[in-house]
Amino acid sequence: MPDQAFDGAFDGASDTAGTAPGEGAVPAVRVEGLWKRFGQQIAVNGVDLVLPAGKFIGLVGPNGAGKTTTLSMITGLLRPDQGRILVAGHDVWADPESVAQVKARIGILPEGLRLFERLSGRELLAYSGRLRGLPGAEVDKRAAQLLDVLDLAGSQNKLVVDYSTGMRKKIGLAAALLHNPEVLFLDEPFEGVDPVSAQTIRGVLERYTSSGATVVFSSHVMELVESLCDWVAVMAAGRIRAQGPLAEVRGSAPSLQAAFLELVGANGRAAAGDSLDWLGGPGAGKGGPGTSGAQR
Amino acid sequence: MSATATTAASPVPSLTSVFVRLKLSLLKNGLRQSGGRTAAYLASIVFGTFLAVVAVLGFVLLRGHADAVTVAVLLTGVLSLSWTVMPLFIPSGDETLDPSRLVMLPLQPRPLVRALLVASLVGVGPVLTSVVVLGASVAVAHGAAGTVVAVLAVPLAAVTCVALSRSVAAANVRLLTSRKGRDLALLSGLVIAVGMQLVNFGAQRLGRAGGLEALEPATAVVGWLPPAAAIGAVDSAGRGDYAVAAARLLLTAAALVGLLYWWQRSLVRLMVEPDGSTIGAAADAGADEKSGTGRLARMLPGGRTGAVMERSLRYIWRDPKTKAAWVTSLAVGLIVPLFNAFQGTGSIYFACFASGMLGIQMYNQFGQDTSAFWMVAQTISTTADAYAELRARALALLSVTLPYTTVVTALTAGVLGDWSAFPEALGLAFGLLGAMMATGAVTSAVFPYSIPQDSGYKNVAPGQGGLAWMSIMGGMILGGLLCSPLIAATVYLHVSDRQSLLWLLLPAGALYGGLLVLAGLKLAAPRTAARLPEILAAVSKG
Repeated sequence: MPDQAFDGAFDGASDTAGTAPGEGAVPAVRVEGLWKRFGQQIAVNGVDLVLPAGKFIGLVGPNGAGKTTTLSMITGLLRPDQGRILVAGHDVWADPESVAQVKARIGILPEGLRLFERLSGRELLAYSGRLRGLPGAEVDKRAAQLLDVLDLAGSQNKLVVDYSTGMRKKIGLAAALLHNPEVLFLDEPFEGVDPVSAQTIRGVLERYTSSGATVVFSSHVMELVESLCDWVAVMAAGRIRAQGPLAEVRGSAPSLQAAFLELVGANGRAAAGDSLDWLGGPGAGKGGPGTSGAQR
Repeated sequence: MSATATTAASPVPSLTSVFVRLKLSLLKNGLRQSGGRTAAYLASIVFGTFLAVVAVLGFVLLRGHADAVTVAVLLTGVLSLSWTVMPLFIPSGDETLDPSRLVMLPLQPRPLVRALLVASLVGVGPVLTSVVVLGASVAVAHGAAGTVVAVLAVPLAAVTCVALSRSVAAANVRLLTSRKGRDLALLSGLVIAVGMQLVNFGAQRLGRAGGLEALEPATAVVGWLPPAAAIGAVDSAGRGDYAVAAARLLLTAAALVGLLYWWQRSLVRLMVEPDGSTIGAAADAGADEKSGTGRLARMLPGGRTGAVMERSLRYIWRDPKTKAAWVTSLAVGLIVPLFNAFQGTGSIYFACFASGMLGIQMYNQFGQDTSAFWMVAQTISTTADAYAELRARALALLSVTLPYTTVVTALTAGVLGDWSAFPEALGLAFGLLGAMMATGAVTSAVFPYSIPQDSGYKNVAPGQGGLAWMSIMGGMILGGLLCSPLIAATVYLHVSDRQSLLWLLLPAGALYGGLLVLAGLKLAAPRTAARLPEILAAVSKG
């Protein structure tokens, strides 16, 4: 990658010069021509994306669309094969200084990666804050408040390995917020989370974006994205199918769900169930392998 | 199996054949995944076949010799001992044998154990074991009775070896995941350490005994221990002691049944009980935590260094796998030099065992993090960050290993009464520790591999075993080479009769070790910083 981090920053600024701070002076994320392939499989197939700052942004797409791969490359966890990524105007894959600028400005909650689970929730926050170079006293103060707000205070001394899925997402979110990042990347933050924890997470995220920060989260739950986000990018088969303000992407469709199915071309697949004629109905239980098991 | 209307065309296959086919497909797919793995697998087949051929040839030549029984019985004993300890040491990626993957299937324990046993007989190891046991019985089988008993004894002994290995593995996993798992990990480590020392003694005995007659008392005992008792039975039958032969065969069969029962019980427990190894730890954490950081933190430096050291040290205590590895290293490092010293066969230089074993803990630092390494990767952007991270990990290790090495060397010197050699031995130990940590830091950055957490059966993800062994063995050899200046200096001072200068090796060794650690960290840091995504990918597998 050419070392053009700072040129990139100025380019980004000149695009939207004169706008109010926090209102997209520099896009939170700018992705140009992003490619990634694993063996024969092209996971991300030339993605171009501009995500404005200060918005609640949803990256939606079916399973296997390349959302996690894209987010991993944007957050510096996976090396792209090709393309350029700027976060808050700094190149994610350029020289160390630029990378440091990016890493200090972002928080991440990845999906499918572990935490240091043999630490207690409180220890995990203490560790992660100090790793980021925050002063110890400040880390402990912020950790206590985050644990309180996220309703984890009662379990702060339990090891993370004993946490439920919802609690893990919440402690991960706390660790991602601890250093007050400008842009927060969340991969499926509501996956497997109960409604109470989901509401807590939602409340924290809404408060966070109202202060001018950016949240980028991936999801395949359209209702959730529709109710939370003011900006969406739709991804399918490694490409961006649409991006823009929620109303624009939804267009004339009755819901984001309908618009999404239209965009990814998944309408009309429902009729494929004809071949499952043995499934359910009065004939059930006759001659299936389950019966032979019951007879034994 | 009752074939019903819809399944009549293809009868339900037996569980055993399903497992055998599963094992074969896993093997095939694993080999297809990587060329390196195929090469390693073929190399192990060639090497194993070579060993087996040599063993069988040796046994055939031994036939009729007076010591044939001694060799045959003892070798079978050693073989079964290695089958017993193997699952504790050797990383194996055998997923067919991992009960946690079978939990959701409607399987009865008894057919399951039968199927698993047959599946575990498929492989290079069991086949070679059978060949060697066959050779052993050829050496001792005489007459028709001997031959008949041998026909029974060979498969019995081979199956018992495999059952031994599997039941020990299952019991070990159960131990590590039990409520007291963290504490029992200590035991597991100690057993390994003591077992190693027993093997060491045996080898020394053999080396010193000169004649095999000295081993006859051992043969008398081992000849009654299954599965070597089966080979003993062949010999007894050949001599006409039919009662003894029958007793030995029955004993082996009984042992096999007992082992299978034990295995089955462990399997059932493993499948229905959750991992309870964290219950105690949670209480520890609670007791320790009042202000966000515990007593430990107050003794450590601030910032990244302190945070990383604290986490590393906590993990030694709280993570069963890490704990077992540490306890093994600590115990072997203590037992080998001390026991040898007590026996009078020791040398103070054996104290280097302690520093060598502990130095291994620096290897695969990021693999020990598992995919949680992303949290570390997120905070590293420059070489300086990577250096601080690695240095803190090295410091955490040194905070245990430096005092421990000193104590072990002092104890060994005390037992041997050889205090004059204490400084040089300690200097050498420090040098070796530094060399191991330096190579460990570099290999951590260059050859990371993942340690799967979901299963106590595996220490390496399938396909990364070769990488793991290569990095550890290569690192140890390089570590030894790096120490050669110190060793050369020691030898030179001894040979040139300048004993009065030997104390200089202590400061020299400490300095040299320290410089090696610094150099290792300096070499590893830029590689770590530049390879963060690659390291994360490598340690997230499995």
